[in-house]
Amino acid sequence: MRTRSSIAAIALMAALSMTIGAAVAFDDAKYPDLRGQWLRARAPLPNPGQGPFDPTKRGGRAQEAPLTPEYQKLFEASLADQAAGGQGGWQGGYCLPVGMPGMMTIFRPMEIIVLPETTYIRIDHIRDSNRRIYTDGRDWPKEPPLGYDGYSIGKWIDTDGDGKFDVLEVETRHFKGPRAFEPSGISLHEDNETVVKERIYLDKADRNLLHNEMTVIDNALTRPWTVHKKYSRDKAEFPVWPEDICPEGNGIVRIGVENYFLSGEGHLMPTRKGQEPPDLRYFKPAQK
Amino acid sequence: MLGKSLLGAIAVTAALWMAADAAAADDSKYPNLKGQWVRARIPVPGGGQAPFDPTKPVGRGQQAPLTPEYQKIFEANLAEQATGGQGNWQGGRCLPVGMPGVMNLYRAMEIVVTPETTYFLIDHIRGSSRRIYTDGRDWPKLIEPGFDGYSIGKWIDEDGDGKYDVLEIETRALRLPRAYDPSGLPFHADGKTVVKERMYLDKTKPDTLYNEMTVIDNALTRPWSVKKTYSREGGAQPTWIEDVCAEGQALITVGKEEYFLSGDGYLMPSKKDQGPPNLKYFRQP
Repeated sequence: MRTRSSIAAIALMAALSMTIGAAVAFDDAKYPDLRGQWLRARAPLPNPGQGPFDPTKRGGRAQEAPLTPEYQKLFEASLADQAAGGQGGWQGGYCLPVGMPGMMTIFRPMEIIVLPETTYIRIDHIRDSNRRIYTDGRDWPKEPPLGYDGYSIGKWIDTDGDGKFDVLEVETRHFKGPRAFEPSGISLHEDNETVVKERIYLDKADRNLLHNEMTVIDNALTRPWTVHKKYSRDKAEFPVWPEDICPEGNGIVRIGVENYFLSGEGHLMPTRKGQEPPDLRYFKPAQK
Repeated sequence: MLGKSLLGAIAVTAALWMAADAAAADDSKYPNLKGQWVRARIPVPGGGQAPFDPTKPVGRGQQAPLTPEYQKIFEANLAEQATGGQGNWQGGRCLPVGMPGVMNLYRAMEIVVTPETTYFLIDHIRGSSRRIYTDGRDWPKLIEPGFDGYSIGKWIDEDGDGKYDVLEIETRALRLPRAYDPSGLPFHADGKTVVKERMYLDKTKPDTLYNEMTVIDNALTRPWSVKKTYSREGGAQPTWIEDVCAEGQALITVGKEEYFLSGDGYLMPSKKDQGPPNLKYFRQP
């Protein structure tokens, strides 16, 4: 009787165990807690300019981007255009997305949602970008959709062997353009063959500090460009997520390849000295 | 020895139960909403761009219960669209559709369920990400209005089988300009719209999702209820396309006027006899 009871008990426990295993589909205790609102940790730089790509240096020439001579020329032309009132190589002014890698400068707050098959990175800047980082073990697709955010495959790693993941390694490919690293207009190559690699992890001493070691491989560069970005978690219990609607109140009107400003009363204005008005050839001459 | 084995088995089972408690997200409690959702096409006479009520033709055929004042506004909008303008439809200017129109699903939708929040990701015009807070929070005292609004939801186990099957949502704090659909059906200028939704899978067809939606708005004579149907497609690894409105946008807004951009990059009128933009700020020859 004792033997039968023991066997029955064991069978019951085995059944219970199987039930437990099946019912719990996602054990989020295995993943770092990345919930909440993440903001760009401001590097202590005087006058850094708008979100420089390398946060430890000022924007623009001070980035010392390892550009090829061809793309250094393009960058200089961008700076000259911006100095004269234009947008240069920066596409954000026309409400085109920043895309990767520049969006990870996080000009607006970021949210990270971790699920076993996909980690989502959401940043509402110019457009409500949703990066999908596929961690389901998939291969690179044969015919990937091209995008400003690219196509990302990631892998969670337990670097210290404690049974919990602590690093997310990501590779992103399959881009479209134009994309620039930052608002100064450092352009990525027009062939859009950029590859971006990231290692994302929480700081071990400060769980509200997130690191992103990012390396960009691009044909506009003479070598891979590696930067280290940091993000701080806002501790509000219910963070506010404002919508960023680029076309709303956008004072830049793009007609063909020319940019104009919109005056307060809704008329076109030049953006630079001596700029010609738009060609009105398709309007009836009598109405001028 | 048998006694020790039994004790060992008991200890192991107990440990497994504790681990189960530690697992914060038991997603078997929630319906499987993974994958790519698209608008289920219902053939209606007249066709047209996805109307708010999918069972009726677009435009006047919607028979929207508008007040006389807002019916007039709607008619003026239709007249403007007939002459080449956009009327009340803000999508042509790359402004978001917002709620409730975003749930017409002009593009595919992904639903991401976590215990505290359910996300609706719809990349149309700008890539909307609705957050439906299911963490039991109260309505905040102060809410910044948005095109997608602020949504609080509750999961309900209607049939008592231990699994949620309905998500009830209320959305407030919606800003303007918004329209129900591309025909330009207007909302009240007071911005006090409330949208209620009940979303649930079809019990016999798990790739069919319903959204019973009710709009309460002061431009209406009564609450307006519609039922939307979505189909799950795309397979195990669906393709997600970015919709970047500004890219290839041929509509140029200058002040209150809309113009077209020609294939060779010049401004063109969008309406018959439309005058060119005022160039008073440019040096004239």
